[in-house]
Amino acid sequence: MAVELTTQTREQTRARYPDDSGYVERDDVRVHYEVYGSGEPTVLLLPTWCLFHSRHWKLQIPYLSRHSRVVTFDPRGNGKSDRPRDPKAYDEREYAADALAVMDATATEQAIVVGFSMGGQRGLILAAEHPERVAGAVFIGPSFPGGGEALAARMEFDFDLEYETYEGWAKHNRHYWLSEYADWVAFFVGEMFPESHSTKPIEDGIGWGLETDGEVLVSTYDAPELTPEDARTLTSRVRCPVLVIHGGQDAQSSVTRGAALADQTGGELVVLEGSGHAAHIRHPVKVSLLIREFLDSLA
Amino acid sequence: MIVAAPTREQTRARYPEAEGFVERNGVRIFWERYGEGEPTILLPPTWELVHSRCWKMQIPYLARHGRVVTFDPPGNGRSDRPLEEAAYERSEMAEYAVAVLDATEVERAIVVSWCDMGEWLILTAEHPERVSGLISIAPAIPVHEREVPEYPFDEELDTDEGWAKENRHYWLRDWAGYVEFFISKMFTEPHSTKQVEDAVGWGLETDAETLLVSFRGWDTKEIDPATTVELCAKVRCPVLVVHGTEDELVEPERARSLAAELGAAAVFLEGSGHGPHARDPVQVNLILRDFIASLA
Repeated sequence: MAVELTTQTREQTRARYPDDSGYVERDDVRVHYEVYGSGEPTVLLLPTWCLFHSRHWKLQIPYLSRHSRVVTFDPRGNGKSDRPRDPKAYDEREYAADALAVMDATATEQAIVVGFSMGGQRGLILAAEHPERVAGAVFIGPSFPGGGEALAARMEFDFDLEYETYEGWAKHNRHYWLSEYADWVAFFVGEMFPESHSTKPIEDGIGWGLETDGEVLVSTYDAPELTPEDARTLTSRVRCPVLVIHGGQDAQSSVTRGAALADQTGGELVVLEGSGHAAHIRHPVKVSLLIREFLDSLA
Repeated sequence: MIVAAPTREQTRARYPEAEGFVERNGVRIFWERYGEGEPTILLPPTWELVHSRCWKMQIPYLARHGRVVTFDPPGNGRSDRPLEEAAYERSEMAEYAVAVLDATEVERAIVVSWCDMGEWLILTAEHPERVSGLISIAPAIPVHEREVPEYPFDEELDTDEGWAKENRHYWLRDWAGYVEFFISKMFTEPHSTKQVEDAVGWGLETDAETLLVSFRGWDTKEIDPATTVELCAKVRCPVLVVHGTEDELVEPERARSLAAELGAAAVFLEGSGHGPHARDPVQVNLILRDFIASLA
């Protein structure tokens, strides 16, 4: 399938536009947030790895904001947020601190946090360390480091080595990101959607990926991350209700990761058979209804 | 693309409340009814290359607002595959519709047609007591000139590129090749892989032999323009014409002329191909809803 690699010249029209938006600033890094709808509860849609920005929630926002207030923000590194070059700026805890700053700026006392993939780490930190701000946590395809197994295909290559050629997951490589960024994005987003009829999500995802660059991604890789031990310490502290949604065909984060997270937090695990990594993008109705049911169960 | 007829039907968003067959001149026609109450929307078949599942994006929505009746054409779906040409006559198609309305106890219906080749104009013109409104999506009814085919349908050609595939000998040699080609012209919008896959599957539920019973090229299949004008003059109910600006099978000009002849409103969908109800279902369903509401 041929996908043309070009950055979107202008944003696509949206099904719903924010009712409010703005920036929070921490240590000279500006982070852009949006608020949709009003009333209680508030759903905070967390950023994932900054390969994507907040538009990856576009199929949840219009639905959820009919039933609750929705707050989302662009990760540092993409969208309308700044793109610092210092790896320290991409510490997992910086994202969690951004989330708290956005909650303060939007007068959000407490929220149900929803994270996708690496957004799970952010949600986990918030739920464990700021229980008064988190009423419940949803994890979609979490890349949870505290349990489960890594996917074999992703273990074959070294991130820092220079290779003659870069096929498949060899593209997950510092040198390749800096030299062939667009091809890396196309590969990675393609792996994200193993489902048939995914040309639109793939086109969108590549477009978001091309709004940032290889240097930013390398900085996120070099940033301090949660060790397996950190992650398990965090799960032991989670007291709020947890829902984990994981695609049975996730080629980026093994379904065993989601299962371990659910197990350690006493949460509910829903495995969507036939779904890849981004269930909320490719199976939006199913995932939005699961989130809605979770919200209702907390009310 | 791997071409294989589906081994079993996909799950549906909504299942019919009732289904059955009507029989006319020995031909069994399969119908389905969804929902309750008035008004009734009749979703009749189009060319028998596809069957009633082509309305799958309309049925669940419309059935929330009234009763929906649809049926398979002779030659595809669960209807018979008669080998007599008379069974596929335009006026005969209109009579199947009347028989289905009788069987489902529907007095009058709003007809929503796709790629009408004259049969639903005939139904509307000749059975005004049964049709309270007509929406014609991507009509293929000539008001002025007829289609001039690029290649003769019956002759052996020395090419099977492009529209040369629309040829008796090619059909018999590689039916799947023709179906794939034709459907690729139907959905020209990006991100149409699902619609293409569905429609190719429906096309493979019938075969070249069945379609050849009544098809000798579009120039012979089409209604005569003089007849179109006569029929239009008889239509008294409200009509809406909907057509995609990028339709590669039927030029939008035909819809414009037909709407003018009928004194009907016309909606042109920017960027849409020949199957807007399948490819842009929400947009089309809302247009249908507004038109249906205007008749209440």
